[in-house]
Amino acid sequence: MSASKKLGSVARDWRERDVKVVLSALVIAVATVAIIALFANQLQRTLVTSASSFLAADRQLEAEHGKPIPQAWRDEAESRGLRTARMVEFSTMLSHGEQFQLVSIKAVSDAYPLRGQVEFQSALEGEREILEHGPRQGEVWLNPRLMRLLELDVGDTVEVGTLTLRISGVLVREPDGGFNLAGLAPRVMMHADDVAATDVIQEGSRVEYISLFAGEEEALENFYRWLKPRLEPSHEWESIRDGEALSESLQRAERFLLLGGSIAVLLAAVAVAVASRQYAVGQRDTVALLKTLGLSSTRIGRMYLWRLSIWGLVGMAGGLLVALPVFAFLNSLVAEVLEREVPFSVEVGALAPALATAIISLFAFAYPPIRRLRHVPAMRVLRSQPGEADSRAWTDIVIAVVAIFGLVWLYAREVVLVVALIGGLAALLATLALIGWLMVIALRRVSGGGNAWRLALVGLYRHRRASLSQIAVFAMTLMLASTLILVRSSLLADWQAQLPEQTPNHFLINIAPKTVDEVEGFWEQRGQSLDALYPMVRGRLTEINGKPVRQVVSKDDSVNALNRELNLTWMEALPQDNRIVEGKWFEEDQTEGVSVEAELAAELGLEVGDRLGFTIGSETITEPVTSIRTVQWESMKPNFYMAFPPGGALEGLPATWITSFYLPEDRKSALNDFTRQFPTVSVLEVDHIIERIQEIVRQVTQAIEAILALILAASLVVMAAVVSATLKDRQREGALLRTLGGRRSLLVRSTMLEFGVAGVLAGLLGVAAAEAAVWALQYRMFGGEFRWHWEVVLPIPLISGVILALLGRWQLRPVLSVSPMLLLRRLE
Amino acid sequence: MTDPASGPENVSEPILKVSNLTQRVNLGNDTLTILQGVSLEIKRGESVAIVGRSGSGKTTLLGLLAGLDTPSDGEVMLEGNPVSRLSEDERAALRARRVGFVFQSFQLLPSLTALENVMLPLELGDYPDAGRRAKELLERVGLGDRLRHTPRQLSGGEQQRVAIARAFASEPVILFADEPTGNLDNQTGQEIQDLLMALNQEQGTTLVMVTHDETLAARCERRLTLESGRLGKEQEAAA
Repeated sequence: MSASKKLGSVARDWRERDVKVVLSALVIAVATVAIIALFANQLQRTLVTSASSFLAADRQLEAEHGKPIPQAWRDEAESRGLRTARMVEFSTMLSHGEQFQLVSIKAVSDAYPLRGQVEFQSALEGEREILEHGPRQGEVWLNPRLMRLLELDVGDTVEVGTLTLRISGVLVREPDGGFNLAGLAPRVMMHADDVAATDVIQEGSRVEYISLFAGEEEALENFYRWLKPRLEPSHEWESIRDGEALSESLQRAERFLLLGGSIAVLLAAVAVAVASRQYAVGQRDTVALLKTLGLSSTRIGRMYLWRLSIWGLVGMAGGLLVALPVFAFLNSLVAEVLEREVPFSVEVGALAPALATAIISLFAFAYPPIRRLRHVPAMRVLRSQPGEADSRAWTDIVIAVVAIFGLVWLYAREVVLVVALIGGLAALLATLALIGWLMVIALRRVSGGGNAWRLALVGLYRHRRASLSQIAVFAMTLMLASTLILVRSSLLADWQAQLPEQTPNHFLINIAPKTVDEVEGFWEQRGQSLDALYPMVRGRLTEINGKPVRQVVSKDDSVNALNRELNLTWMEALPQDNRIVEGKWFEEDQTEGVSVEAELAAELGLEVGDRLGFTIGSETITEPVTSIRTVQWESMKPNFYMAFPPGGALEGLPATWITSFYLPEDRKSALNDFTRQFPTVSVLEVDHIIERIQEIVRQVTQAIEAILALILAASLVVMAAVVSATLKDRQREGALLRTLGGRRSLLVRSTMLEFGVAGVLAGLLGVAAAEAAVWALQYRMFGGEFRWHWEVVLPIPLISGVILALLGRWQLRPVLSVSPMLLLRRLE
Repeated sequence: MTDPASGPENVSEPILKVSNLTQRVNLGNDTLTILQGVSLEIKRGESVAIVGRSGSGKTTLLGLLAGLDTPSDGEVMLEGNPVSRLSEDERAALRARRVGFVFQSFQLLPSLTALENVMLPLELGDYPDAGRRAKELLERVGLGDRLRHTPRQLSGGEQQRVAIARAFASEPVILFADEPTGNLDNQTGQEIQDLLMALNQEQGTTLVMVTHDETLAARCERRLTLESGRLGKEQEAAA
């Protein structure tokens, strides 16, 4: 075997401590990033699936112009491996003998629902059943209130148009019940193939045809690409992310997962960087030896590249071996929490960041110092001249920064996130440089002594290079972990605030002005107070600054709000959760102007001062925009795109009133009395939607806690790895100090103090940098407001001080238990 | 000298008294005896060389004499203190006040400068003005211009000088040296010998060293030979 092969042999390397540290760091890096990426990926799919039941599918295609969606489109989707179903929705009269009732019919094909379940009772007082299909042909299911209203029972027949259908069950809940304030007649579900026989649908009837699609995300995307050029303006392609109530929560959860993943990437990079850097610097003697043996620089370079590659592969394989069982375990936990099967599938794409992180950080941090060494004469490698040591290290730093930046970018592809994290880290390092400088000035004068404090400070000063780089790594680790903790807390708080206990879960719509008092009285008698009542006038936005809307807004930006009638209202005070972003809210006695919701204003390019024309029935009113305000769509309260001042033009138009209130599950029977007493008032029950959202939020919360736990564990491992990088030096020092007569207790106390001080310092820095990063993230990504988090800012430096003090104590262990003689020999 | 017990008038009193010292280590089922019934006395101010082949137990003996390790059997009395019966911390306190060390592989801390390395024992002993004392010592060993250099930037001989400066820093009454010239070339080894002997004379320290170096052994007053863990016949070396 040639000398270079022998020196380069992996088996021999394995016995080196530095190599073991590098390999462990690689394994940890690959495992952490892979676990989080896989887990995040899985969670996202699980969440979207569980949210998808709101659509009863992954995607819906709606046609609002009364023409059916071509069968060929569904065939195309099926040929791409998607499942499809179709629905027809329309309002019509349902009759039973002499009784008539306006109902809202949903006619579904056999495959309905593609996602989610139908809740059903086979008798009015029967048990709830969970079904994954709708009624068969010739059958119909009715909403229980409708059955009571018409005094029907299962087995009776009803007429829809010219078709007689037999009631085969009670429809308790449909998965895609939705949250639409328009068209609120009681729900009836029948089979789609029966629709033609009813003769209800004529040319020009108001019918909505809907196709449902479900399947792999990629197939859905591909199908949409095929479909898009074929769509007409009245077609609407909807995914769960478009649903107002849930989309925000889901998006934030996804972003949190992304943030968690990016932080894992950074932590992993730090771990590998520290270990491989340590290794590279420790290779001086070997490089010198190889040179004295006459090896050329090129061969030395090649040898190290080969070695690093082998470790890279071993580390990646090891990391995956650790990651997969852990992921499988987490998966089973998720399944337990969700109380349903979660398929174990490993997305190969999700592993890429893990492998890239390991390899890139390995080479970016280990190779440059070695590469520089191979150009240095052997003698200079063996004995460095004062001052020359790190003059060229800045190229290493550039390479490292580019590598880390690239990695996070590769992973997250979210500018704000990358800039916030990297910016936070940069600020941290700059502050640290300042602290280092101050430390040199302040501690230079401290001299040691039998006092543990003074010895600790002297230790910090003496090891300032190592101390500062350790503090840097700890601070970065703590910053990343605290960023995640902070974002998590504010995310959870936001969600909690969004849907607190007793969120209104029922809407009363269509209350005639003269029955408002009676309705309020009805609920007051039953101990339920109503939220604010809002008048509601339905109208379309037809003109902007005198020009028809259709001209102003090009067809391509299909603005949802323009396709249907808007709910216009007038109100005196700005609702609590709305916020003015431009202009001013109505003054007292002001009767002109309109306040527009911010997103719609942005889509239409509206500014304060623009004049908007609304068509309401046969009337037209024109008002200037006086303010633009944000609305909490996910608040489950009546929200309005357009708000007018009281006493204005709108108030003269025929209006109905809307309100919401909280009705507990056990009081729901009161709704029956209510519908009997106020048959014209529509009741919208959103309690199940709210329950669902709360359930999803709970799931996401648990997922976030799991990711946080993983990251915290990884941080601890990184900190331990960093401490162990200087283990040998520290132990030698300990042994020597004991040989020179240092008492055990003094050694223990000064070491713990030294590490503790470093820990507190790192904690303070880390938390401050985390607050800076969170400020940026919170502002740009999670759309909340920033505040100081004292409950995190205060304990983290203390905890980090304690952890580091314990780590310092731990590394001292052999120094205390073995005779110093033995230890010195062992460490030679 | 601060210690009234030291000095030429007490030369005849033994500073180190060893009786029946035995050291065994367990290797699985086997017990290996490294030292077997070693007894000796060393007088204050004496210089003693312990010689013998590799593996004869020299370094182990040195470690036991210095209280760095505890024997399986027998006793070491250092200035009347039963070293082998003291607790680890009591031994450490004894080392801090009375004992100095020089090692074959120097044992300097790589992250510290020469000055800081010499200051270590002074700081442990709560010496006032450790920096000035360390600087004086480094000047004494000829490294006054290398105070801020780290061990990496020093040659082997220079590193050993730093180690010697450190060993004398706390003004020990007894200095243990483990092959102090073992890692050095002849010329440098010679210089280190001279330095060690000169400082020994100046400070009146007792010197116990393990060495392979015949010339160094020859410069000591006594010469003890170890053979397979037993003390051979003693020779009086240089007068």
